[in-house]
Amino acid sequence: MRRTTVSRAYGLGLAAAVALTPAMALAQKAPCIGNSVATTGPAAFGGAAIKMGAETAIEEINAKGGVLGQPLKLIQYDDAGAPPRGIDNTRRIALADKCVAILGGYHSTVSVAQAEPVNTIGIPFVGVLAANTKAIENGRSPNFMFRVSAKDKWVARFLVEKAAAQSKTGKIAFFYENTGWGNGALPDVQAAMKAAGKELVATETFNWNDQDMTPQAIRARDAGADVVLFWALDREGNQIVRSMDKVGYKPTIIGAWGIAGNLGELAGPLANGVQVVQTYTFMGDMDPKKKALWDKISAKYGLKDPSEVKMASGVGNAYDAVYIIAQAIEKAGAYDWAKVREALYQVKLDGLVATYDPAFDASDPERQDAILPKYYKLTAWQDGKLLPIEQTPYGKTN
Amino acid sequence: MTTILQYTLSGLAIGGVYALVALGFHIMWSTAKAVNFAHGDTLMIGAVLAVMGVDAGMPVWLACGLSILAGGAFGVALERIAVRPFTAEANSIGWMLSTIAIGIMAESLATMQFGGFSRALHSPGVDRPLNVFGAGVYAQELLIPAVAVALTLGLGLMQKRTLIGRAMRAVAHDKRAAALMGVNVGRIVAISFGLSALLGAGAGVLVAPVIQASATMGVLLGLKGFAVAIIGGITSAPGVLVAGLLFGVLEKFVEGYISTAAREIVAFSVMIAVLLVFPQGLFGKRETVKV
Amino acid sequence: MSRLHALGFLALAALLVAVPLTADNEYELRLFMLFLIYGLIAVGLNVLVGLTGLVSLGQAGVFALGSYAGAILAVRLGADLITASLGAAAIAAIFGVALAYPTVRVRGVYLAVVTIAFGIIVENVAIEWSALTGGTTGLSGIPTPNVFGYELSGYGFYGVLAATLLLATLAAHNLKDSRYGRAMLAVSQSEIAARSLGIDATAMRILAFVAAAVTAGVAGAFYSFLNAYISPDIFTFSDSVRFLLMVILGGAATTFGPVLGAFVLTYLPEYLQDFQLWQKFAYGALLLTVMFVLPRGVLGTAGFVLKRLRPPARGLSAADMEMARVGLPAAARGATAELVTQGLTVRFGGLTALSAANLRVKGGEIHALIGPNGAGKSTFVNAISGVYQPSEGAFGIDGEDLTGKRQHQIARLGLSRTFQNTELFGDLTVLENVLVGGQSRLSYGLADALLRTPRRRREERDLRAAAVGLLAFVDLTDHAKEAARHLPFGLQRRLEIARALAARPRLLLLDEPAAGLTTQEIGSLADMIRKVAAAGVSVLLIEHHVDLIMAVADTVTVLDYGQVIASDRPGVVQNDPRVIEAYFGSPVAHGDFAEVPA
Repeated sequence: MRRTTVSRAYGLGLAAAVALTPAMALAQKAPCIGNSVATTGPAAFGGAAIKMGAETAIEEINAKGGVLGQPLKLIQYDDAGAPPRGIDNTRRIALADKCVAILGGYHSTVSVAQAEPVNTIGIPFVGVLAANTKAIENGRSPNFMFRVSAKDKWVARFLVEKAAAQSKTGKIAFFYENTGWGNGALPDVQAAMKAAGKELVATETFNWNDQDMTPQAIRARDAGADVVLFWALDREGNQIVRSMDKVGYKPTIIGAWGIAGNLGELAGPLANGVQVVQTYTFMGDMDPKKKALWDKISAKYGLKDPSEVKMASGVGNAYDAVYIIAQAIEKAGAYDWAKVREALYQVKLDGLVATYDPAFDASDPERQDAILPKYYKLTAWQDGKLLPIEQTPYGKTN
Repeated sequence: MTTILQYTLSGLAIGGVYALVALGFHIMWSTAKAVNFAHGDTLMIGAVLAVMGVDAGMPVWLACGLSILAGGAFGVALERIAVRPFTAEANSIGWMLSTIAIGIMAESLATMQFGGFSRALHSPGVDRPLNVFGAGVYAQELLIPAVAVALTLGLGLMQKRTLIGRAMRAVAHDKRAAALMGVNVGRIVAISFGLSALLGAGAGVLVAPVIQASATMGVLLGLKGFAVAIIGGITSAPGVLVAGLLFGVLEKFVEGYISTAAREIVAFSVMIAVLLVFPQGLFGKRETVKV
Repeated sequence: MSRLHALGFLALAALLVAVPLTADNEYELRLFMLFLIYGLIAVGLNVLVGLTGLVSLGQAGVFALGSYAGAILAVRLGADLITASLGAAAIAAIFGVALAYPTVRVRGVYLAVVTIAFGIIVENVAIEWSALTGGTTGLSGIPTPNVFGYELSGYGFYGVLAATLLLATLAAHNLKDSRYGRAMLAVSQSEIAARSLGIDATAMRILAFVAAAVTAGVAGAFYSFLNAYISPDIFTFSDSVRFLLMVILGGAATTFGPVLGAFVLTYLPEYLQDFQLWQKFAYGALLLTVMFVLPRGVLGTAGFVLKRLRPPARGLSAADMEMARVGLPAAARGATAELVTQGLTVRFGGLTALSAANLRVKGGEIHALIGPNGAGKSTFVNAISGVYQPSEGAFGIDGEDLTGKRQHQIARLGLSRTFQNTELFGDLTVLENVLVGGQSRLSYGLADALLRTPRRRREERDLRAAAVGLLAFVDLTDHAKEAARHLPFGLQRRLEIARALAARPRLLLLDEPAAGLTTQEIGSLADMIRKVAAAGVSVLLIEHHVDLIMAVADTVTVLDYGQVIASDRPGVVQNDPRVIEAYFGSPVAHGDFAEVPA
């Protein structure tokens, strides 16, 4: 009671003079990780995957005694995929809940918007799905934005490499959604093509909820592309492959992970052979480590089949990200934003998705990303299932 | 040439959906001088329930039939709950906001029950594209504008030949006079909302195989359907049909020759321009001032 | 300003000072700043929705325009907070005018759709024009706000926001109380009557749209500084709905309602997050509940209940009566007030409703215009009051040509009218109706209205005195504070006459004033008409009621099939065989003209 009176009086005295800068927030932070993610709306499955991974990791950590002797908590907010709500949640996590770090969500636009308050406040942010390059590589120093997920710049290189290998004519087209995610990837893909000594023969865009993409398909077909790169979600990805089918166009399709959800169900046989990059999957053969995690998750969330997890990369990434943060807190020896940020560069971990050695590299602005391209996995749709490409007929042609 | 034909056919398919939605707006407006602002969600309900029905093991035809009926019931209930209490008021804020509210609730319920994903409704109409002089199109896509035309004609016949149809016309013409002639205006308005919801849910079932069912599929289709109704002249069913088909084709050509993102800008600008030149829409009746 | 409102403003100011001092952390303060921004939008939107009764479902589009204008000015040109918000206000104002333009042709649900379309267009232009707006990636790196080169601290920016909201609320309150607010309310309730009293309805709607746009534009600029990041998906249709709901929830047309609504809807999402998956459903349910339980909004309902519990006096206070200038003001401009029409013709398609009608109303006379149903009387009245444009011919008052002028211009030049089916401003009080009638003669401007200058106070006081005098003339002072629609029919007719007289016309046009009145009421109406004429105002009386015409008219003109068939003293016209034939279809030896259904 007395303390609040004092602090109020203190506030009164300083109110006119002191700026509301993050410097005020020197106090000890709480042992919690905040998570702003879409748990409602069309991409709620992404939020659900992140939640599974993060909750499971935190449960394991707490079972072993928590961090710095205290149990870790996960505070979950819904951003519904809307940037302003992402910004509000970021501030709420940092300033009201005083958590030690933030996990990012599914939507690139939200992550890009969060970069501003994150760096102004100075709280470590670890993205676990959204792949937009600029959200993390934002030119700020010190940069508090980190990521344990795929990065479009690297995904672009990875996919262009695969495309170049599979193209017979050397003509490659690019289809991307007209959103922060798709538009953000455009320069990455163009740069990757240039680096490979090639140029896109068609660059086509479309909006969410578009029902027919025949104009785009016709242009790509007439440009002679035999491989098409996708930056699309399942719903629109389905419309594109159907529109291609209508105009008699059957290129090889390689996509970023927006079409890793239920393209197989939507497009039926048309999806067969569509290749998708991922960082993690429960599909196909499981090694013992994966099997153990699957048993735990399937029991906890009542899942019967691995295909029920729509965005398994989110589970794997979030799981690893929580372990990385926990280790950074232990190394920092305090629930302190700046110290934890420093410690993130020291973390070494043998994770689900990758072997992090170290997780991040302070000397390289590109290495605010933890998962290197060599850990990216190519999967392919086969009769409604998205399997590691080696386990499908399409892997053999490579 | 093939390209132009392709755009036209694809445009007619989309336009058919707009026309079906707009036709619903026309029916509601005629009798009630109010509409369900969230009519797009009626379409969503039809599509989503059909998919859920198939999930539950029903045969496709039964699932579709039941979901259309459920859509109709939704329309009647919505009229009773969210429209009728507000139609007496001079301005339209009341029913606009209350129907928007019901739309939000329906969409949120659907997201919870159905998930955020788009889901396919299987139809033999989309198994393989037909080749029409080099342009590709699904049989289902050709079916949609055909159904729209047939329903417009059917609606005209119904309004001329049947007792309910004539009562609907009477109410549309003059509510008070119709009441004096012994027409149960409340019931006619309810019937018209039910009928328009049947059309909406039917459109949802028809279009689901082509564009997939999802909780959010209705919003933009609803808004565009309303824009089409206004452009065509909301008092004229054939006007609404023509405007819908034209609007769909226009969109495809803008997409094809300018860009996808310009589509919304061009389409809605055209709508405003049409309204400025023809305040009652292209085929609507002008209402005169009397003092 | 009433005591209750003064108290309200004090409470709001106290709240705005107290919050930053007690906020527990920066997040709480920022959330409150967000509320201040939304409050600004809602206060402006209330002018449009509450006063003119127009619905905008595209306010997020205007908000987006302001945000982008402010952000682009700040990021690309290094503008400070003031320049950026002024720029945003200017651009928003231009689009406000553009949005108001369609209202000339379309209303109601059509207008709502136009505004929705506008919002969608803005959103997509922001996506498409990526060189300027950053496209879907959005604009980031908006600098911390500074004013004249001084960087604003968090509290400094808070101060700017708080002061802006307080001043905007005060300005909106002053506007509502002024001639402009009254005119907007009048236009929303009966446009035709408002126009007939010299109010330029289009100008009022443009003003309302601009007020709503400027506040939303400034709010947008503030928002971009507060968030330091904007992208197209911040400005969606559901945000437009939310802004409208703020106004409705708080109470449309109330002073503090929009502020309250903005407060509730800023904080609500914080609490709805607890509903997890159900939060959107809960929002929808809340919206529906508001529409059912509080259609007038929280403050509107509170005011309503308060009135029920402690009904205010229906009549005027002694002080009011004291200051009244009792009696009828002398005719304006000391003119002869002579109306002349020459060959006035109105055609609707192939139908000639009025054919080459020549008529002269001499200064100060009572001139009756009669004729069977369908003879063209209403067409004549509507033509000379500007509702219809004559196809041929001309008309003017005291040599001043009025042909082709618009309704409100004709009214301002001295022609006032009443309506066959009364067209009162039903929700305004009796006194306010008369005030609206007299306000085309006020000369104070928008700045005077917003700032409550001495000039405005003086003019309003004079107008009020004159209005009370007119109420005394028609014997309605006991009902002065009642809503006009609660008046019995006979009194409504009288009120319409008082309202028309308030404009100090040269010519008063009475369109069937005796219809529906009792014999006794007709008697006092006759007295009234005589007094009006005695004051130098010419009266053109369209009437069926023979006794009244015989009692008051100096001249009678008879119309039949759109043509003038007689014009003379009542006694002469009464016996004119052509008139008798027009009424009875065949010559009758003797009789008088009564109403015969056509």
